[in-house]
Parts: sequence; C-alpha cells; structure tokens
Amino acid sequence: MVSLEAIANSVASGFLLGGILALTALGLSIVLGVMRLVNLAHGVFLIAGAYVGFFLLQATGVDPIIALVPIGVVIGAAALPVQRFLLEPLTKFGPEAPMMTTFGIAIVLENLFVLYFSADTRSIERDYATVPLLLGPVSVPLVYVFGFVISVGVILIVHAIVSWTSFGRDLRASAVDPGAAAAVGVDVRRVHALTFALGAACAAAGGTLIGIIFSFTPASGANYLLTDFAIVVLGGMGNIFGTLVGGILLGVLQSLAGVTLGDGYRDLVGLVLFLAVLAVRPQGLFRGHAA
Amino acid sequence: MTGRAASNGDLSSDFIIETRGLTKRYGGLVAIDNVNLSIPRGEVFGIIGPNGAGKSTLVGLISGALKPSSGTILYDGVDISALPAAERARRGVGRTYQIPRPFLDMTVAENLEVALYSAKPFISARSAREQVNATLTRTGLAREADLIARNLPLLRRKRLEVARALMLDPRLLLLDEVGAGLIDAEVSELIELVHSIADGKTSIVIIEHVIRIVRECCRQLAVLHIGAKFAEGQTDAALADKEVAAIYLGTAHRDDSTSQSRIWTAPNHSVNPGASRRDVLLRITGVTAGYGQARVLTGVDLEVKTGEAVAILGTNGAGKTTLANTISGSVRATGGNIIFDGHDVTNLPSHLRLRRGISHCMEGRRIFATLSVEENLLIAARGADRSVRQRRLEEIYTLFPALHTRRRNLGTSLSGGEQQMLAIGRSLMSGPGLVIFDEISLGLAPIMMDRLYEALQQLRDSGLTMLIIEQDVDRALDLADRACVLERGRFALSGAATEMRSDRHLRRLYLGEGGDDE
Amino acid sequence: MTQKTANLRRAVRNVEQLAGIVIAAVFVPGIALPNLLSDYELQIGFRIMLYIVLAEAWNLLAGYCGLVSLGSASFVGVGAYVLVGLLNHTGIPVPMAVGIAGLAGAALAAVVAPAVFRLRGLYFTVGTLALGEALRMLMINVPWFGGATGLFLHVDWPSSRELYIYVFGLLCVTEVTLSVGTRSRLSILMRAVRDDEDAAAQVGVRAFRVKLGTFMIASFLMSAAGALQAYKLAAVEPYGMFGLQWSVDVLAMVIIGGMGLRYGPVVGAVFVVLLAELLADYPELHVAITGLILIVLIRFAPKGLVGLLGRISSLLARRLAGVHLV
Repeated sequence: MVSLEAIANSVASGFLLGGILALTALGLSIVLGVMRLVNLAHGVFLIAGAYVGFFLLQATGVDPIIALVPIGVVIGAAALPVQRFLLEPLTKFGPEAPMMTTFGIAIVLENLFVLYFSADTRSIERDYATVPLLLGPVSVPLVYVFGFVISVGVILIVHAIVSWTSFGRDLRASAVDPGAAAAVGVDVRRVHALTFALGAACAAAGGTLIGIIFSFTPASGANYLLTDFAIVVLGGMGNIFGTLVGGILLGVLQSLAGVTLGDGYRDLVGLVLFLAVLAVRPQGLFRGHAA
Repeated sequence: MTGRAASNGDLSSDFIIETRGLTKRYGGLVAIDNVNLSIPRGEVFGIIGPNGAGKSTLVGLISGALKPSSGTILYDGVDISALPAAERARRGVGRTYQIPRPFLDMTVAENLEVALYSAKPFISARSAREQVNATLTRTGLAREADLIARNLPLLRRKRLEVARALMLDPRLLLLDEVGAGLIDAEVSELIELVHSIADGKTSIVIIEHVIRIVRECCRQLAVLHIGAKFAEGQTDAALADKEVAAIYLGTAHRDDSTSQSRIWTAPNHSVNPGASRRDVLLRITGVTAGYGQARVLTGVDLEVKTGEAVAILGTNGAGKTTLANTISGSVRATGGNIIFDGHDVTNLPSHLRLRRGISHCMEGRRIFATLSVEENLLIAARGADRSVRQRRLEEIYTLFPALHTRRRNLGTSLSGGEQQMLAIGRSLMSGPGLVIFDEISLGLAPIMMDRLYEALQQLRDSGLTMLIIEQDVDRALDLADRACVLERGRFALSGAATEMRSDRHLRRLYLGEGGDDE
Repeated sequence: MTQKTANLRRAVRNVEQLAGIVIAAVFVPGIALPNLLSDYELQIGFRIMLYIVLAEAWNLLAGYCGLVSLGSASFVGVGAYVLVGLLNHTGIPVPMAVGIAGLAGAALAAVVAPAVFRLRGLYFTVGTLALGEALRMLMINVPWFGGATGLFLHVDWPSSRELYIYVFGLLCVTEVTLSVGTRSRLSILMRAVRDDEDAAAQVGVRAFRVKLGTFMIASFLMSAAGALQAYKLAAVEPYGMFGLQWSVDVLAMVIIGGMGLRYGPVVGAVFVVLLAELLADYPELHVAITGLILIVLIRFAPKGLVGLLGRISSLLARRLAGVHLV
C-alpha cells in the first residue's frame, strides 16, 4: 500500500523531473520539426554534455550548473561541422541516409567515450544533489527544483527566439517550405546548420543537468533518446511548449508508475503511453504552430 | 438563381451521384455546406465556382479521399458515404488530380497496370497487355508506354491520369481542374479526349476554371459558391446568368466566349520613347538548364531593360517555369551566363540573388502556411532597417487592403486569391530590381485575376521591371511591353506586345498550333 | 527513360545476377560436402546467412514497400522466445518449431498493423522503434518469460553443421520469396503504395492489405531468423533478443548494401559480418570503425555498395563500348 504522501512526493518530483527531461528533448524536437531529421545521435550529444560538465568540475572546480550555456555552446559548435559536411550533402537522398549517418556518429562517439573515459559509471557530484526541499507537505530533491527552473528558462528563451526573432522566422519558414524560403532570401543551409547546433546545445545542457542528478555511462544516451522521442511525439514535433508539457506529463506518469508498480515499470509505462499517443493522435497532443 | 426541381420518386437511378445534405468541416471552416446535388447519368456535367468554393473538396468527398462531416452520397442509388476510396474505385469511380500525381518512378504502362492488377490480380499476361495497350491508344499515349512518368510533361501526365482511371472501367469519371496550366491547343486536345470518352455509358464530372472546356463539353452544370450550391442548370443559361457572372466570371467573360471582344479597356500605356536608351537590367546569354537527365532550356537569350514588362509565353514543357527558376536560382544553369545589374549571378545561390535584387513570385504561391501574413511579408525584407520595412509593408497593404485586414492571420486561413496577393506582396518586400511573376492566375477565378492584374498594372506604372509568365495570353499581352515565346527550350519569337496581340497568324503559329506537347 | 538510366539499370541487374550466383556458389558447398568447412567457418557461414535473411526481409518491407521500420527487434525476439518455449515444452522437430515461430511473428505483425499503419513516414519509423523497446521492457518486467534472466533451452544443443543446414534452408526460402515478391504483380502494387498511397487507393489498391501482406511476410522471416539464433545460443533474454542492435544492424546492412536493390542486403550482410571478423582483434575499436565506414559509405555511395558497383560497371561498359554519352 503506497501512502498518499509518497504519491504526492512522487507527483511533485515527477513534475519537476519532467521539466528537465523536456529540456533534453527540446533539441530533438526542433531538429525533427525543422529538418525532418531523425537524429539518432541525440543521446550521445546529451552524454557529451554530461562528460564535459564532469571534467569541467574535475579540472576547474566550477559548478557545471552555472556553466550550462558555455557547455551547450561548445557542443553546439562541435556539431556544426558535422551537419555541414556529413549531413547536409545527404539531404537529397531521402530521410534514411542522414538518419543512418547520425547513427554512425552515435556509435563512433559512444565507442570513443568508452575508449577515453572508460565505461565506468560517472556522476557529477554536487552537495545539493541530495538535499531535499520541503514545499509544504511535499518533499522533493532541491536539485530538481534548480534543474526545473533552469530548464523552463532555457525553453522559454528558445521559444522566444523561434517566435519573435528573424532567425526564428527563417527557421519556421525553412521548416514549412525550404524552396520558397530560399526564394525569399533565407539561407536555408545556414538555418539547418544552426538548428542542428542549437539542438545539440540543448541536448548537452540537458545532459549536464542529468549528469548532476543521476549517474551516467557512455551507453546511457540510448535510454534518453527513446524517452525524448516519446516526449517529442507527445508534444508534437517542433512544438516547443508542447515539448515542455509532454515532458512533464511523462515525468509524472513515470514517477507514479515507479512508486506504485515498481522501478522496472517506469520506462515501460512511458513507452506504452508513447505508443498509445502514436496510435491515436500521432501529431501530438497539442496543435502548435511553432516550427 | 436558376434551380432545378428535386426529382422525387423512385427514379434515383437516373442519377449517377446524389448528395444529400453533404457537409465537410475543417474545424471552424465549412468547406462544403449542406450540398444537395444530383448528377445525371451518362452525361458530362460541369461544376464551376470561384476559388474556395469547395470544388476540390467536393471531388474528394465523392471519390472517397475525404470523409464527410455529415450527409450522404449515393452512387447509382447506393449509399457509399462510409466506403473507403479504394472500394469506390473498384466500383467504378475514377478521378484525376488537380496537380497530376502519376506514380513517378514507374513507366506509363506500369501506372496502368497498378489499376489493373489490384482489381484483377490473376488476369492473364496477354489480356493485361491488350487492355493496357487499348487504353494507351485511346488516350494517345501509345508511344510513351515505356517512358518513366517522371519525364512526362504536364499534358501527358494528365492524359496518363485519365488513362489510369479508365483502367478501372469507370462508370463515373471525376476530372479535377484537368484544364489547368494548358494552352489553347492543348485544351482543344483535351476537349477531344473528353468527347471520345463521353460515350453515354460513362458519366463524367468536370470541375473547371477554364470556361471553354465547360462550354464545349458540359450540357449541364452546377455553380458552387462558399461551399454551397449557388446555381445549376443548362450550361449556356448558367454562364449567361448575371448573378453567376458577378460572383465568378468577372467582367471578362460576359456574353461571348471569344477573348478578343472584351469589355474592359486595355490599359493605356504607351511605349516610352526613351525605352531603347534605358539600361539593360538583365542579360541572359546561351543559358541551358534542366532537371536531372532532362534538358529543358536549350539555349536562351534574353535582355530586359529597366522598367520593361516582358511577357514569357509558350506551350507547356517549353520551359517557362524552368526559365524563371534558372533566373532566380532555384535551378542551376548548366551553361551560359546570367548578368544582372552588371553582376554575373550565374553561379549564385537563390538567396543571394534575392539580395542582389532578383525576386521570384513562384508558381503555386508557396506561402508559408504556419507564419502569419505579416510574418510572410517581413521575412522577405532581408537586411532592410525598420523604417524601410515599415514603409514597404504599408505600400503593400495599400496595394492589397485585404492583406492588411488579415495581417495577423496564418497563411493557412487565406483563400487562393488572398494567398496570391500575399505571394505578390512578399515578392516586393525586398525592394527588388526585377520581379518574376510565375503563373499568378493559375487556379483563380476570372474576377480575382482582374484584381491581381490591376495591381500588376499599378506596379508597372510605378516603373517596376517585371517578367510575366502566363497561360492567359491576353492578359499578359495587355500588361506587357514585349512578349517572348519559348518553344522547346529556346525563344522562337519575340516582339512588341501590341504586334503580338493583333497578329493572329503569329499567335496561332506560336501559341496555338506551335506547341506539340512534349 | 533515358539511355543513361537504362544502362545503369542493366548494369545493376547484371551485378545482381552475378551476386546471386556467387552467393549460391559460396554457401552450397558447405552443405554438399560435409567436412569441407571447419567449425569456425560453419559458424561464420551461419552468421552471414542469418543476417542475409534479416536484411532481405527488411529490404522487402522498407526498400520495396516504403515501410522503414526500426522495430525488427520485436520480431527477432518473438521468434526466439517462441522457439525456446516450443522446444522446451513440446517434442516437435526443430524446422517445424522455426516455422511456428515465424508464424508467431507474422501474427504479431497482424496484431500491431492496424495501429502502426496509421503512422506515415517518420512517425512509422519512430513508432516501430518504440514498439521494439516496449516489448523488450515488457519481457524484462513480466515474470512468466523469465524476466531479465530469460529462458534456457533444455533440449540438446545443435551442432554447427546442423545450424548451418537449417539457416541455409531458411535462406533459400527467403531468396525465393524475395525473388517472387519483387518481380511479381504484388511488387507493382507495393511500389505504388510506396510512391503515393493516396493515389494508389484512388485506383483501387487496398493499401492496407498490400502493406499488411508485406509486413507479415517480412515479420515471418525475421522471427524465423530469431528462432534460429535462439537455437544457436540455447538461451534467450530480453537485452539480447529484443535489443535495439537488431533493429539498427539490419538497417545498417541494407543501407550499406543498397536499399531497394535486389541483392543489396546480401552484399551488406556479408560486408558487415566480414568486417566484424576482421576487427575481432580490436574489440574497442570495432564499433567505432563500423560506424565510420557506415558514415563514409553513406556519404559517398548513397545507393550502397551494389549501387556503387553498378555505377562502376556501367562506367566500364561505356568505356569498353566507346559510347560517348553527353
């Protein structure tokens, strides 16, 4: 019998964790929505962010949580040439070729991580990672709150960029009709490259947060890839707020499943929900007009 | 409004199609509104109406591609409202698409085989070949049996779609705007084809904007307006009806069908005596271009002076849109030079050509459906600072007040005519030196074309250099200073518009019989 | 069709026929002459043939019918578990058990088809991925099938030669199925569905049935292959039999070999297995190098190795014939 208190805690933690997961899924959503690219390397970008955060802490003692933006920028910058030279030339061959290339990148990077960083489980050790916060009757880990606030902040910033800047306009136009976008002056190749970089940056930032909260290995990326796909489909491809809501929904459901059914069922429940949504409403739960 | 008494009684088999209370809603938008239509069997029946009237939606509902929100459809007396498209096809409902969709990576013969094998999977090879060949001959495609559909020009693709539908042995054939994009000679061929199929057993429904086809093929028609049936009756009577003219035909087609005696006055622009001394803005020499294996442009030379309006005419497949795309950069020229404003832009990608001043109002409008009207406009004003952007926006809103009203609406919610206005406005936002208007009248009702061409006239009078690619020869010649006729990828003829307009022989040669459709 | 295209098609077909003959020549001797191959060679042969079966099945589904699935693992796993269950609890002979395992896969395909076919394109791919993963997690959590530890085979374990013969039988069935499937009238309907499902419906093609038929055939083959793999390992567990690597490896093989080409999967499967053997001495780098080769091949030979060979051979043919194409 699970106590009401445990359930309340679980819902609250799930809510906050879901917001953090939404950040990890954001990059995937944008790339899917704008470039119609199934980025199977998304998971390794995430883990790359976690590793950078880990080594940053080790080397300089700087808390990665404040260095999220630079970490994102670094990974994003690294992703730019990947898109330019490996993915862009393949766009005329249909969607499978770039997808498989991202898979190739994923396994190469994962293997390199094992080679250079070993397969050991790592975790970015911060004191606040284990401190609970009491919000009334409910207790949640403090770091979840930090993570949630940061994630929502980043999501809002990205939304603002996409909806109100001229780059965002170019991005949305390229998603709808790249040929017409080029005809009105949009440098579609540049938009795609920057979108991919942005996606990688968001993944890396989310990954750093994950690295602080949970432990990770070179192979962890695949799990998050799947969870993130679930969130993207729930929220609608390219729909930024939808991703946030989808993430929270998934977080809450997973938490409840873990507390009531057992830890092994967390991921299963997520996947079942994912399949149900795909079967009933594949365009996502929300109709958005984002990218 | 002419009406027809509802046929009560058990003679429902008089009609091949009956719709009762047929309605189709997309969220808040009602595309087809409670339509009761009875289409007589064994005849050629026309459905006309302005853009957004719901004609294509109606075709989709009858063919099964769309599910009705309410109401019923009877096919030969049987309720097919819930039947999926494939089943309707098997019962003899065939259709063609507004923009032809043959199976591009299959040969012409294979396209027909698809229809044959799905219905009769065990038919003998010899029988299959016979039936396929018979249909190919009937639709004039016998020579192209082994050609890949992708390589067919527009009229051939339309024939292929008709042939493919004929393989179903249809009792009902729905032809959806099959005349769109064809020039006079091709329209004549199409009318012949329709006549050859109309054998009294097959019922044909023609949805059209090209009035000539409706006049020469359909005995009766129905007029749709804003999703509802506005009028119906005998063709001549309906077309002569004043109210129908008001909503749809515009002034251009009143009374007589010959396009010469039009009521509206041709705009009085005289050729500027200083024209020949004006600078050459665009110079194209020996340009060749194509798609994949196909060579479309085989050596084009063109000079356009600042302030000129040049009409580009020619048959389908001659290369008009390819030329537009090559000038604007969507298609890379394989040979030759393009010099714009003194700069060689031959190898420049399209977004950079826009920044140089070449703007392309693309065929099919291509507006960004998920952006608002204003965003669609702003996105094209690259690099201009705020005050300039505002000024241009205002100019466009003055030119097209409807856009101002709808400026916050998303592209998806605009009608065809409004989308075209938006596309034209968007092409002006960058302050271009040259604008290419590519088939802006395609799929629009004559009354809308009047409005757009008035706008174009204003632009012309303000000194904008423009290339106008048009199917509607008369309108193009009324607007332009010069006209050039493309034939098989090269300019075969060019001259002053006034000459072209009045020289019947020239027109028949190059715009009438001149085009074999390859 | 232009001359160039016609030449290319002919060249590719020649390569394909050659490939078919070579493959037969390579694998048949192992059966005919019992002691010709060593145990190690028999095992490699087994792996190659098994992968060919999987790749061929996937190519039928994705290359010819347009259903790009990342859920092959579902069927491999189902076949594996069904076989172990059958052999442990009934005394039926192995070939029959493999056949039933295949049917189980086809049944799974039929069950999920109505839901999964509502998804088009990208969504279908992602949906099948989720399906595979969901099944894996189900198997981990549900105790009846052994949970995370899985099940063990309680009958006599097979010899390498036995396995070789069984998989060769399956390969023959596969090749016949593929040849029939890709040259028959069904293939025209499949291609129509792949190219434009709505237009196909409008000319009377019951797209759902065409897709279902193809899906069931492909799933049957994949499940049969999974069954043989289980027989070889004499054990099944969720990570191994429902793991993502099945789905992705199969995709990689077909893309490397050439998707939508008749013998692309064969070439791809052979290449991947031989590469793995070559790199067996460098286990740390094996995956990375495979990934790099994958990336490079996709970048420079998007029609796969078969397409590349086809281009080379048509180039050579032109040179030899002295034909000067513009």
